[in-house]
Amino acid sequence: MLRALFLAFALFLSMSGVQAQTQSPTEDLQTVLQRHAAEVANPGRLSVGALIADLVASRQPNVASFLERWQDKGVYQRTTDGLFFYAIRQGDAYALTNMTTGESAGTAPADVMTEIRPNGGVRRVIGAALVQFQLSDPDRARRVAALDAISRSPDADQIDPLRASIEGEPDPALKLRKERLAGHLRARFGKSTEDRIGAINELSSALDVETRSVLNLVLTTTSGVAPSVPEGTNVARILKVGTDINEAVAYNRLVDANLAPAPIPPAAVKAALTANITDGRVGGIPVGQLGNETNRSDAYDALATAGTVPPQVTPAIRTAALSSNVFYDAYTEPNPAVTDAARAALDEVEARVARYQIIDISMDALSLASIYFLAAIGLAITFGVMGVINMAHGEFIMMGAYTGYVVQLFIPDYTISLLVALPLAFAVTFGAGVAMERLVIRHLYHRPLETLLATFGISIALQQLAKNIFGTQARPLTSPSWLDGAWVINDVVQIANIRIAIFVLALIFLALILFVLKRTRLGLEVRSVTQNPGMAASMGINPDRINMLTFGLGSGIAGIAGVAIGLYAKVTSEMGSDYIVQSFMTVVVGGVGNVWGTLAGASLIGFLQKGIEFFNPSNTLAAQTYMILFIILFIQFRPKGIVALKGRAAGD
Amino acid sequence: MTQGFLSKNPSVLWFLLVLGLFTLGVTVLSETAGVGLISTSFVKTLGKTLCLCLIAIAMDVVWGYCGILSLGHFAFFGIGGYAIGMWLMYARTEIIVIKSLNAAAIPPTPEEITDAVGQQIFGVVGSTDFPWLWAFSDSLFLQLLMVVLVPGLLALVFGWLAFRSRVTGVYLSILTQAMTLALALYLFQNDSGLRGNNGLSGLQNIPGFERTPQAVISLGFFWASALALALGYVLFAWVVSGKMGSVIRGIRDNESRVRFLGYHVETYKLFVFTLTAVISGIAGALYYPQAGIINPAEVAPIASIYLAVWVAIGGRGRLYGAVLGAAVVSLMSSWFTGGGAPNIPLGFYTIQWTDWWLVLLGFSFVAVTLFFPKGIGGLFDIIVRKGDQK
Amino acid sequence: MLHHNGMDYMISKLSLTALATTALVGLAGAASAQDCPIKIGVLHSLSGTMAISETTLKDTMLMLIAKQNEKGGVLGCQLEAVVKDPASDWPLFAEKARELISNDKVVVTFGSWTSSSRKAVLPILEELNALYFYPVQYEGEESSKNVFYTGAAPNQQAIPAVDYFLEELGVEKFALLGTDYVYPRTTNRILEAYLKDKGIAAEDIFVNYTPFGQSDWATIVSDVVALGADGKQVGVISTINGDANIGFYKELAAANVSADDIPVVAFSVGEEELSGLDTSNLVGHLAAWNYFMTADTPANAEFIKEWHAYIGDDKRVTNDPMEAHYIGFNMWVNAVTAAGTTDVDAVREAMWGQEFPNLTGSTAVMGTNHHLSKPVLIGEIRADGQFDIISQTEPVAGDAWTDYLPESAVLTSDWKELGCGMYNTQTETCVQMKSNY
Repeated sequence: MLRALFLAFALFLSMSGVQAQTQSPTEDLQTVLQRHAAEVANPGRLSVGALIADLVASRQPNVASFLERWQDKGVYQRTTDGLFFYAIRQGDAYALTNMTTGESAGTAPADVMTEIRPNGGVRRVIGAALVQFQLSDPDRARRVAALDAISRSPDADQIDPLRASIEGEPDPALKLRKERLAGHLRARFGKSTEDRIGAINELSSALDVETRSVLNLVLTTTSGVAPSVPEGTNVARILKVGTDINEAVAYNRLVDANLAPAPIPPAAVKAALTANITDGRVGGIPVGQLGNETNRSDAYDALATAGTVPPQVTPAIRTAALSSNVFYDAYTEPNPAVTDAARAALDEVEARVARYQIIDISMDALSLASIYFLAAIGLAITFGVMGVINMAHGEFIMMGAYTGYVVQLFIPDYTISLLVALPLAFAVTFGAGVAMERLVIRHLYHRPLETLLATFGISIALQQLAKNIFGTQARPLTSPSWLDGAWVINDVVQIANIRIAIFVLALIFLALILFVLKRTRLGLEVRSVTQNPGMAASMGINPDRINMLTFGLGSGIAGIAGVAIGLYAKVTSEMGSDYIVQSFMTVVVGGVGNVWGTLAGASLIGFLQKGIEFFNPSNTLAAQTYMILFIILFIQFRPKGIVALKGRAAGD
Repeated sequence: MTQGFLSKNPSVLWFLLVLGLFTLGVTVLSETAGVGLISTSFVKTLGKTLCLCLIAIAMDVVWGYCGILSLGHFAFFGIGGYAIGMWLMYARTEIIVIKSLNAAAIPPTPEEITDAVGQQIFGVVGSTDFPWLWAFSDSLFLQLLMVVLVPGLLALVFGWLAFRSRVTGVYLSILTQAMTLALALYLFQNDSGLRGNNGLSGLQNIPGFERTPQAVISLGFFWASALALALGYVLFAWVVSGKMGSVIRGIRDNESRVRFLGYHVETYKLFVFTLTAVISGIAGALYYPQAGIINPAEVAPIASIYLAVWVAIGGRGRLYGAVLGAAVVSLMSSWFTGGGAPNIPLGFYTIQWTDWWLVLLGFSFVAVTLFFPKGIGGLFDIIVRKGDQK
Repeated sequence: MLHHNGMDYMISKLSLTALATTALVGLAGAASAQDCPIKIGVLHSLSGTMAISETTLKDTMLMLIAKQNEKGGVLGCQLEAVVKDPASDWPLFAEKARELISNDKVVVTFGSWTSSSRKAVLPILEELNALYFYPVQYEGEESSKNVFYTGAAPNQQAIPAVDYFLEELGVEKFALLGTDYVYPRTTNRILEAYLKDKGIAAEDIFVNYTPFGQSDWATIVSDVVALGADGKQVGVISTINGDANIGFYKELAAANVSADDIPVVAFSVGEEELSGLDTSNLVGHLAAWNYFMTADTPANAEFIKEWHAYIGDDKRVTNDPMEAHYIGFNMWVNAVTAAGTTDVDAVREAMWGQEFPNLTGSTAVMGTNHHLSKPVLIGEIRADGQFDIISQTEPVAGDAWTDYLPESAVLTSDWKELGCGMYNTQTETCVQMKSNY
C-alpha cells in the first residue's frame, strides 16, 4: 500500500512542472490547506498522500516548515472560521502565527482553537515527504530525521537524492549512515542485477536489525501449490508433506488453490443431517442412533449417494490429492542470482547475530545474577554467617526503597538524592536491624525455627505498616538521567545502564564484605563468634555486640539493595516478598556461611533462569518453575550447597 | 485403637465431646433447622475453619511432635482441593452441556460432549482441549482416590529424597517452601491444564444436588468436616501416643541419639510426613467445595507459613493447641478484615481494623514466640498446675 | 427456603404489583415500602496486588454515593456504602460477596477488577439473584443475568485498537504481550483470530505471557526489537496488568524504543498506572480506552473537580474504570427511580435501555446483553502522564460474544427478548441460563 502511494506521489512530482503552470502560481499555503481542510484537521495514513502531493506541487517556500510544525502538533485550527495557524499556548489563550507570512496573527481564546494531532502513521508519511527538504539541511537534527524517515519507509525514489547528499555531508557519523542507507536502498531497488548483488555482498558484514530486514525483504517468499512447479518460479524450497508441513495444513492449501474438494467438518455433517430428517430417519438410520460418529458418517454417506449433499473427503481422496501436487515456497524476487547472494549474505549475518546473542543472553544472565546477589547478600550474612533466618529481610529491602522515594520527595535533583539515599537507606535499615536483633532475635538464638516465625510476624506487620503510610500505589523512584538509556555495544548486544550500575554495586559489595570479614578486626570477631561463641567470649570479645553489628550490617546492605532494585523495577509494599524466597534459595544453593557461595548461587540461578527462558521464550513462569525444581533436586544431591564449608566450621 | 488408648488419653474424649456439642449447636442454630441465628455464609466459614483445624493438627504432628518444620503442607491441601474440584467442574459442566445438546434434533456424540465440556471449562484460558491431567475427571471415585494418592506420593518422593540426604532443620524448611512455590508457579501457568490463575470455580454447586439449597449443602459439608476432624484427631492422637510417639518425639529432640539407638529415623520421618500430607489432602478436598473456588494463590508459600503460625500460637506438641490456634486466628482474621470490629477514633487519627489488623497480628506472633512459646495451649497448663497445687 | 430463586421471583412479582398500586397513591407510599437506608456493597481489593488499581474505585463509589445522598438519596432513602476488602484473593471475593448479599442485605454491589475475581463472584450472584456492576474492560465471552458490564468488551477496545494499528500505523507484525491470566489469554486468542482474518500470517504474531508483577523485562524487550529483522513494521499489543507495567515501560525507555519505530498500545495502562512513572521516554506510545482524563467536555471537567474536592488532592487522576462506575451508578439510580423499588428483577428490567451521558460527550446506552455502548478512544502518551486523544469513534455497542472465534460467533445474549445470556443462534437454543464459571 505504502509503495503504491509513493509511486503515485513520484508520478505527481514528475508532473508537477506541468501542474504548476496550469495552477495559479500565487496560490498560498492557507488556500491549499483549506481545499483539504478536513484532511488537514483529521489526517489518515492512507488518505493524506493527496494533500501532501498538492502541497509539494504548490511550490510554496514554507511547505517544509509547515510539514514539520504539523508533524510536531504545532498547527491549530480556529473553529470560528476554519483557518489554520501555528499557535503557542499562553495561559488561557493562544498566540497565533500566520502560516503564509510568518507574522503574528494576534491571539485567540483557548476554546476556539483545536489542536491538530496527526497520528504516528501520518507522522511517518509526513516524515517521508520531508526527506527531500531535509537531506541537505544545515540543521543536523533535520538530517537525522530525514534518515530516520528513509529507514522507516524506504523507497526507490530516495536513492538519487540520498546519494546526491552524501558528498556534501559534513558529519562523519551521518555520512556513514547515509552510505549504509544508500546501500540498503540499492540492494532492494538497484537498477541492475550487478549493482544489487554488489550492494548485497557489502551488507554481509553487518549486524543490525535494519540490514537484516533489507535482506529478509529481498528474500520474501510466498507459498504455493501446483501439480508441478510453474516455469520461471524462483523456488526457495520444496516442502515435504508430513515433515515440512503437516497434512491438515497442506490439504487446506490444496482446497484454497481449488485443487481438491473441501473437507466436510463435523459441524457441517451434523447440520446436513439435521436438515434432512425425514420421518425420524436420516439416510435410513433412525435419529435416535445418530449419537455416534460411525452412524453419522454412514447416514451422511447415504445422503451423499442420493446426491443431496456433497460427498465426504475420504482418507484415500486426501492422500491422492496430497501426493499428486507439489508444495513449495517461492521468492517474490524473480532473479535467482539476487536471492542466492542475499541468502548467502543473510546466513553470514545470522550466524554472527547468533554468536552475539549468546553474549547478550550471558549479559542478561549476569545482570539477573547480580540482582539476586544484591538481594541475597545481606541474607548471606544474617542467615549464612549467623544462622538467623530473617523472614523480614525482604521488608528491609522495601524499607530501603521507600527511603529512596522519600529522599526524592525532598531533594529534586536525582543524582544528589541518590547519593543521599544510599547511605541513608543503609542507616535506616541498619537501625531497624539492630533494633530487631536486640528486641527479638537475641532471645531466640537457641531456637532457630522460632526466629523464622517471629521475623515472619515482623515481616507482615512491616508490610502492612508500609501500606498504611505510603498507600498501595507503586511509588516512583526515578533514576538520574545518566543512568537512563543503555550501553549499546552493537545492534544485538546492549544492556541498560541501570543494570550495569547494579552489577557494579554488587561487585563493590562483594569486595566490601570480603574485606570486612577477612581483613578487619570486626570480621575476625564475627568469624570467631560464629564458630565458637563461648571461646570468643572468653577471649574478650563481646558476642552480643558482635551479633548486633553483624545483623545490622546485613540489614543495612538489604536497604541499599532496596534502593537499587527500586530504581530498576518498582517500589511497592510487597516488593520484599518477591525477593525473599529467591534470596533464601540463592544462599542455600550457594552454600551457607560463605560469601563466595552466595555469589556462586546467584550466578547459577541467574544463568539457569535465562538459559531456560532462552529455550522456552514465551513462558517466563515455566522457566521459574523448572528452576525451582532444579534447585530442589540440586539440594538433595548437594545438601551443603555449591561451596560447602569443610571441617569444624561446617558443623550445624 | 483399643479401650486402653482412649482411657490413657482422656483429652481425646474431651475433644470429641466438645466437637460433637459444637456441631450439634451449629446445626440447631442454622437456617436449615429454621432458627437461622447462624447464617449460611457463617456455617460455611465454620466448616472451612474445621478443615483448617484438621490440617493444623497434621502440621502439629509433623512439626510439634516430629520436629520437621514443613513450610509446604498447604501444597498438599491445595492438591486435595484441585483433585476434587476437577470432578466437580467436569460433572457440573457435563450436565449443563448434555442438557443443551439434547435440545438439538440429533442426539450428541460422546466426542461432541467432550468437546463442548472442554470448551466451557478451558475457554477462559484460551484453549478447548482436555489436558492429560483431566483423564479421570469424569469419575468421582478415581478423583477421590487422587485426593489421597497424589499428596501421599508427592510427600513420599519428596520426603524420601530429602530425608535420605539428611537435609534437616531450616534447610528442610526452605526446601519444602521451594516445593510449594514450584507448585504454585506451575499452577499459575495457563497451560498447566488447571486453568492457571483463574483456578477452578463454582465448586459449591454439587452435581446432582442442583435443587438442594446451599443452606443444606453447607450444613452437609460442615458435618463432613467435623467428622473428618474427629477421625483425624483420634488417628493422630493414636500415632503420637505409645512407643511410636516416643520415637517420633525423640527424633524431634535429638535425631542422632535416636539413630544411634538403632531406630531407622528416616522411615519414621517419612511415615509422619506422608501421613500428614494425606490428611492435608483430605482437609483440602473438604475445604474447597465450601470455599467455592481454588486458585494457585492458595498454595503460595505464605499460606503454609500462616499454618505454622497458627500451630505456634495455639501451642505446639499438643493437638488441641493446633485446633485452638487455627480456629482462633482464622476466625479473628475474618472478623477484623470483614469490618466486624469497630474502628477506634483517636481524634487525630482513626484506627481502621482493616488497615491495622495485620500489624496487630504480626506483632502478636512476635509476642507469642518470645513470651509464650507454648502458645494458647500453655495457658491450660498453668490453669491445670494451679488446680493441682490446690 | 427451598427453590430459592422461584421464591424470589414470586416475591418480586408480588412487590411489582404492589408497587403499581402504591405508585397510584403517591410517591410517599413508594418510599415507605422501601427499607431505609438502602445498602450498597463495594467489593474492591484494598490490599494485595490489585489494591493499586482498585482502591481508587472504592473511593469513586464512596464519592458517587455521598453525592447522591446530598441530592436526597434514592426513593427518599439515604444510601449507605458497605465496603469489604477481598484483599486481591479470589476465594475471598466469593466469601465477601456472600456476606454482603446475605448478611448485610445490600441491594446492589459494585466491584472487581480482574476477570478471575468476577468469575469467583458469579456463582454467588446467580445463586442469590443479586445485582453486580463490573467496571473494567474485559475479555467478553460472558453475559450473566446478574451482572452489568460497564467496562469495554473486546469489540470496544481491543479490536478497534488493532484496526488502528493495521490501518493508521501500517503495522504488519504483532507482539502480543500479556500477564498470564484470563483477560490477556482470551483477548489475545480473539486478536489472533482477528489478525489471521485480516491476512496476518501466524508467524507474524508473537505471543508472550509473564506472571503478575514481572520485573525482569530485558530479554522480552530485546526479543520484540529483534522481530523487526524481517523488515516488517512491528507493533506491540500489551495486556500487561498492574505494577508489572512499570518495569516494562522502564525497560522500553532504557532500550530507546521510540513509538515511531515500535508503537505499543496498552489496554490496561491508564492515567493511574502512568502516575507512578516518568513518561518523558514514553511519549507517543498508545492506550485504548473509552475515556481519558483529557476529554474536553463540561461533564468531565465537573467530574474531575468533584473528584479532586472529594479526595483532597489536585494531583490525583481520573481513569476509564472510574467513568464506568460513574455511568453504572447513575444508571442504577435512574433504574431504581424508574422501577420505584430496589428489587433486583425490577431494577434489571429497568436497566435495559437506560441512557446516561458519558464523560466524553456522547450517550451511553445499556443493552439487553448487559453491556454498554461506548465510544472507543485512542490516546498517545504525553510527557505529563496524560493522553492526547487522537481518535474517537461514535458509541459502539458492546458485544458479549465475539464474532471472531468460530465457537462464539454463533452465540448471542439478550436478556429481554430471549431471556438468555448464551443463546446459540444456529440451533436456536439457550446453551445455559446460569454462567459456567
